Amino acid sequence: MIRNVGKLLRKTKEKKSLIQNDYQDSKPADELDVSFSQNVETLRSVYDNCSDVMFRSFLLFGKTRAMLIYIAGLSDIEAIEQYVLSPLMQEASKEPQPLNEFIEHKMPVPKVVKVNMLADCIESISSGNPILLYEGESDGFSLGLSKWEKRAIEEPVAEGGVRGSREGFIESLEVNTSQLRRIIKSPALKIQSMKIGTLTRTNVSIAYIDGLVDKSLIEEITTRLERIKIDGILESEYIEEMIEDNPFSPFPQIMSTERPDVACSSLLEGRAVILVEGTPFTLIAPISFFSLIQSQEDYAQRFMAGTFIRWLRYFFMGLSLLLPSLYVAILTFHHEAVPTALLLSVAASRESVPFPAIVEALAMEITFEALREAGVRLPKQVGSAVSIVGALVIGQASVQAGLVSAPMVIVVAITGIASFMMPRYIAGITFRMLRFPMMLLAGTLGLLGIMMGIIAIVIHLCSLRSFGVPYLAPLAPLKGKELKDVLWRAPWWMMDTRPSFTGDSNVYRQAPEQGPNPKRGSETE
Amino acid sequence: MNNSWRQTRILWKVKRRHFTKSVLLLLGICGAAPFLSGCWDRTEITDLAIVTAAAIDKKDSNQIELSVQVFIPSSISSGGGQGGTSQEGGGVTTLVRSEKGSNISDALSKLQSKLPRKIFWGHCKVFVFGEKLAKEGIQEQLDFLLRHPQPREKANMYVSKGKAKPILESLPPLENYSGEVLRELSDLHIGMLVTLQDLDEMLTGKPQAAALPVVKILPPGKGQKKLQGIPYIVGTAVLKKDKMTGTMTEKETRGLLWLRDEMESYTVTFQPKGVKGEISLNPVTAQVKIIPQIINEKWKVLVKVKTEGAVIQNGTNLNLSSPKSLKAAERAYQKDIEKRIEMAFLHTQDKKADILGLGKDFYRKYPKQFNQIENHWNDIFAKMEVEIDVVAHIRRQGYINKPAGLSENEVKDK
Repeated sequence: MIRNVGKLLRKTKEKKSLIQNDYQDSKPADELDVSFSQNVETLRSVYDNCSDVMFRSFLLFGKTRAMLIYIAGLSDIEAIEQYVLSPLMQEASKEPQPLNEFIEHKMPVPKVVKVNMLADCIESISSGNPILLYEGESDGFSLGLSKWEKRAIEEPVAEGGVRGSREGFIESLEVNTSQLRRIIKSPALKIQSMKIGTLTRTNVSIAYIDGLVDKSLIEEITTRLERIKIDGILESEYIEEMIEDNPFSPFPQIMSTERPDVACSSLLEGRAVILVEGTPFTLIAPISFFSLIQSQEDYAQRFMAGTFIRWLRYFFMGLSLLLPSLYVAILTFHHEAVPTALLLSVAASRESVPFPAIVEALAMEITFEALREAGVRLPKQVGSAVSIVGALVIGQASVQAGLVSAPMVIVVAITGIASFMMPRYIAGITFRMLRFPMMLLAGTLGLLGIMMGIIAIVIHLCSLRSFGVPYLAPLAPLKGKELKDVLWRAPWWMMDTRPSFTGDSNVYRQAPEQGPNPKRGSETE
Repeated sequence: MNNSWRQTRILWKVKRRHFTKSVLLLLGICGAAPFLSGCWDRTEITDLAIVTAAAIDKKDSNQIELSVQVFIPSSISSGGGQGGTSQEGGGVTTLVRSEKGSNISDALSKLQSKLPRKIFWGHCKVFVFGEKLAKEGIQEQLDFLLRHPQPREKANMYVSKGKAKPILESLPPLENYSGEVLRELSDLHIGMLVTLQDLDEMLTGKPQAAALPVVKILPPGKGQKKLQGIPYIVGTAVLKKDKMTGTMTEKETRGLLWLRDEMESYTVTFQPKGVKGEISLNPVTAQVKIIPQIINEKWKVLVKVKTEGAVIQNGTNLNLSSPKSLKAAERAYQKDIEKRIEMAFLHTQDKKADILGLGKDFYRKYPKQFNQIENHWNDIFAKMEVEIDVVAHIRRQGYINKPAGLSENEVKDK
């Protein structure tokens, strides 16, 4: 078998050049021809059977044959008519000389680019910029007149909040980058872009702040992105899974957000943001485990409230992972570990339940997950039906029928609520998923099993990295100063340093000792 | 164009197959491990007979009788539904089963055959020894309770007046079961509270004497069913080594609590000099220090008491807000406590059993001297002198200053 592998390996080396050629094939490498009609013919054959591609032929100043190629719906037709066709279709006497200079510099169009490669022409047409070709000119002109329908900026659906910006990202990359730029006006905000996907040619942009970000991080992200060879990118998750450090981890190592303010706060901390066309969810890298538990709202309210809510979240994070397993473990192995009165009332309620605790717990948790999933997918009008069925059938009827004990329902309900307390939906799902192996461990090995599970999870978390940043930073490795954003949410005047793990080139983010106090009052006068 | 992608894919497959195989194997082994090894001590809560109290009686011909009070889960729940708890009127929430045997474990194994569920001691917080057994010695039974992993060391220990089994059989109207009644009563610290661990410490320690609360059934009131009497604490049993040698009354027990510094809730009622009526006090704080002394070969114990009380009833005509009358009242308070402690001390000396644990105190302070007399410690204890030094203050007077219902003239201000 080893010999076979060796043979195959050698074969692929030969094939490698072929593979690379494949990508070139999809992008014709030829230059535009000198002949106008030849060029038109080539483009027509490229866009064969594409009814949405318009070939508008006309006479430039009454005598030169010209062709405007654009895609209906992607280009601004009114602007084409007003600023391109009407000045160019004037009488011959008004013809300016030379013609190409007029087009390049005197036409009232936002952006005119000379293109001489066929591939660039196609790229331009596909992204909505009409191409102007005319007789006697070997280059084409790409006119920046793209305009297509897009959603208005709306409130982020998956990351709501009481206080803070109400704007969310949308599907259009331009609008998203403009939202970043609107918040961070400094030219230090750099946005590099590339196209990924052999068929979709999706625009992907990497945003970062020059001087804050670790240069090697941007290089690493770029190389990882360039490595992606895929037919299409429809969501940022495609990219996330292809560039993350450990693909076989239940924990996300790249965070996604649909809030420009969250993206910007990450930028200011020296992280990079990857924006993907076609989805409102942008990616943030590198992150640590604690980024998943921090919400924008923590910073938009008084620091004591923020700290309180953060601790509440830590507590319920533990509950969402462990509560059902603790319940099962105690009920099947460690009966002496609960107060007598509690044990007696639990024993009384479990008296008529026909299943062992572990089966009951698994069944209820799975039902809860099904209910949640059904609620997410259903149209809004039917959604209420699910909640009624869930509350009545699962909550009451099953207890009344004696199939499930009432304490179990309470445990499942608390666990469900606890898992929704995670500000990032993905992180909540991670914990909900890990709950099941934990329950199995609890049902087979009791508290011992739970401890084993916790140890395994912690070891895994310690080994994880997100673009080289330890996943549990700044807790492990411990950076005492940076716990200001983990153990509590320090008041803003104490948040004076940036996290060292994301970039240590520019550590201080504000002047020292800005805490308001009576002495400072006269200082400013 | 995707043809070449497919080719690489085939190649990867071959490369990965071996890796995947080993990973799957490893996962299989690890995944199966908990299912193969686990579960051996898994017990559903519905398969447990939760023992809430146990009683051990002496039977004739060297046999003991073990009685357990087992909780009936279905009694406090009507199978879910409306969640109605059917415990009004003292519904039966427990059942009592007993079996004879040569010792506890023997009786237990026989008892298990009478109960469909596995006997679980983990929540048994009350153990009652029958009087007869206590008089003959409890050491043998104690060994089981301490050795077996399930019984709690924090369980309360009692000696019953007469047989112990009826204590378990009584159906208290207020609590769910009689074991709970005893536990709650003990938590009030009216009588002694001795846990299994305390008992073990007392018996293995230097003094080799122990005290256990004595319980008795309070007869049911008129119109109540026969079993509705509750057990209550009537005094203290004195154990020398592991055998019960005598009892102390409730009043003596209270003095004993003073000496052991376990006084928590009590009411002291006394009569100040030269006035009619009595004053009752509740303690706010009470600190008792026992200082062993050997002066000129004479063994002596100094009891230092520092207590502060709050007036709860003033039946005299003293106005306690005037310093003079307060002083008088405090003096009487002090005297009363002195008297109580002295009486309790004399009573324990009578029994020739050092249930105060003085032997331990002496051993700590004078180890050499103690080792010399260790064998006749009880005699020395019985003859020991006691000096009591009480500092008692009245700190609070309640909502009113002057005695209620008395006119200005009647109140003695000075």
